[in-house]
Amino acid sequence: MTRLLAVIERDLKKFRRNPVVLAMSVLMPLIYLIIIGNSFQGKLKALPVVVVDQDTGPHSGRVVENLQAVAAGPGTITIIRMKDQQEALSGVREGSYKAALIIPSDFSKNVARKSRPSVGLFLDNTDGISSETIRITVEGAVRASGTEYVSVREAAGEVRMRDVNLYSKVDYYQSLVPGVVIMAIFLGAMTTGAFNLVMDRFLGIDESYLLTPLSKAHIVSGLIISGLFITTLIAFFILIVSMLITGISFSAEPGQWVAIFAVITLTTLGLLSMMFVIIGRVNHPRIVGILSGFLNVILFFPSGAIYPVASFPGWLKSFALVNPEAYAVDALKSILFKGAALSSVSHDIAYLFMFTLIMMIVAIFAFKRTV
Amino acid sequence: MQGNKAIEVSGLTKTFGTLTAVDNVSFDVSEGEFFGFLGPNGAGKTTLIRILTTLLKPTSGGAVVACCDVARHPERVRHEIGVVPQAMTSDLDLTGYENMDIYGRFYGMPAKERKERTGYLLDLVGLTQRANDLVAAYSGGMRRRLEIARGLVHRPKILFLDEPTIGLDPQSRQNIWGFLKKLMEGDRMTVFLTTHYMEEAEELCGRIAIIDSGKIVVIGSPEELKGRLPGNDSIVLTVDNITQDLIAKVEKLPFVHKSSVEENKIRVSVDSGANNLPGLIDEARSSGAKVLSASIHEQSLEDVFIHYTGKSIREEEAKKVSFLVGAGIPRKWGR
Repeated sequence: MTRLLAVIERDLKKFRRNPVVLAMSVLMPLIYLIIIGNSFQGKLKALPVVVVDQDTGPHSGRVVENLQAVAAGPGTITIIRMKDQQEALSGVREGSYKAALIIPSDFSKNVARKSRPSVGLFLDNTDGISSETIRITVEGAVRASGTEYVSVREAAGEVRMRDVNLYSKVDYYQSLVPGVVIMAIFLGAMTTGAFNLVMDRFLGIDESYLLTPLSKAHIVSGLIISGLFITTLIAFFILIVSMLITGISFSAEPGQWVAIFAVITLTTLGLLSMMFVIIGRVNHPRIVGILSGFLNVILFFPSGAIYPVASFPGWLKSFALVNPEAYAVDALKSILFKGAALSSVSHDIAYLFMFTLIMMIVAIFAFKRTV
Repeated sequence: MQGNKAIEVSGLTKTFGTLTAVDNVSFDVSEGEFFGFLGPNGAGKTTLIRILTTLLKPTSGGAVVACCDVARHPERVRHEIGVVPQAMTSDLDLTGYENMDIYGRFYGMPAKERKERTGYLLDLVGLTQRANDLVAAYSGGMRRRLEIARGLVHRPKILFLDEPTIGLDPQSRQNIWGFLKKLMEGDRMTVFLTTHYMEEAEELCGRIAIIDSGKIVVIGSPEELKGRLPGNDSIVLTVDNITQDLIAKVEKLPFVHKSSVEENKIRVSVDSGANNLPGLIDEARSSGAKVLSASIHEQSLEDVFIHYTGKSIREEEAKKVSFLVGAGIPRKWGR
């Protein structure tokens, strides 16, 4: 009994004397609650839908009213009114809106005549969950307008008319692929680069190279580059394998491969540099382990990899605005599912580039070259 | 002694919070000298060596090592020195050869020179046979030998050794002493060594500074330091019967400095024991005592240390623990 108590006491004392571990064990579940609770809500909210009412007749008015009731009530969608059909469609294509509902000019007339009235719903179906929600919501609104003969014509494909392959439906399984690739990059960035520095420090080996003429920039960028090499290899491997597993058929043009390469490389560099900033002075691998879980939660779940960013509450949405993983996920989704070219994801790449540059400078600046 | 200075330290002080680890230390080391810092654990030896090797900035005072001031031009100093830190710092995941080669590249050595130098040094430290084994498979002594060789790969002007044989078995220690001496015969290199082993300082160093609680107590060659002690030998006489008369007579002898009695033994500190032993025995006999046996031993650095600091080498340093490391909360928070 004494022996057992001794083992227990030894362990409890160690736990009590690790303030960081202690604080994290309390904070982590709460952070999970707040982040996952807000980024994975049961019901989607505030999905932006453009409505182009070319009819402005009594029946189209009722459809729009019904949709506005949904927006005001459960708030599943946010309605943006527009006059120009082309502008609405290009907005969906660029990812500004999740769908465009086009009510043709002969809608009310056709309802009155009962001669097959129809509306067009152009869905961004790369985001499986939100497109399905919008389809059901709009269908409900149109039905409730009492025009039971209206058939909702899904024209998802037309949003991306250029590429035949993109007519194929993106299911939930496939929509996770960009997120999984970003997750692989995160894990790679976490276990290479700065982590090796922490391990060297933990083992006391860092002294051996701090004593040499190597500069701060040599040490930091050397570790980042070796981490970049390993992590991008892993990320590409994960990308190819997960595309095979989920059955994404994607025959990219060279320009798109360049875009994928740019996104993966920059995301890796950015996260590797960020790790240097965050764990660059840590000297125990246990702390890296805890921070790794923490960072994964706060970067991955609000990235839009699983649930659409549009549904996040305001504060989480603003976090997604600075979260590099959100830009990386957006860029990969656009390229893989919408066939976007390098130029269409240039704003994502520009952000990742800026993020990487700033983190790298801070990393070198913050690195302490003394023991 | 040579004219050129390899290391010049003046008024060097380093404090950690309220603890003064190095307290206004000044000394010079000449080129080609084998200089030792002798002191107990926690005396400030490692802090001093870390300042001299640019890993720590001094709180005040300065040090010029090889060419430049350590605080102002640390990168230039790093080019000129080789360092073997106290902790084992070789890479376990690399082979002995790879450890040496990559280290040489840190100094920008050309491939051919690295290969030659690595081959020579591995041979010197007796690791040629094991050069292509992972360091993880090395024993403590082998690892330490590799690290000393690694510290020499770029032909440094000054080699810093922080407790090079700490925790090693006597055989490994002898081995390392052996090739350090061999090394000194070959290169005209300056060596700065810290140790808390008396034998090591005595065996290797031309000059020694004794450091205690961050301060230099005394500097000199081992012989000089021992010479400054009252007497240089201890003589123990065993007699059949110790009398007050005997003690009084012995203490009156001009070459005797101190005496103490223990059962039937009388222990005295004397000058040149071998010459004065017959006189001491005669004096004992003249007081009627029968001398059963006599022994002489030379006074060692241990006696020097005790003489200057009033204590023997021991005492452990309270290690500074980071907040983030496994261990800890600050002491003031309670146990």
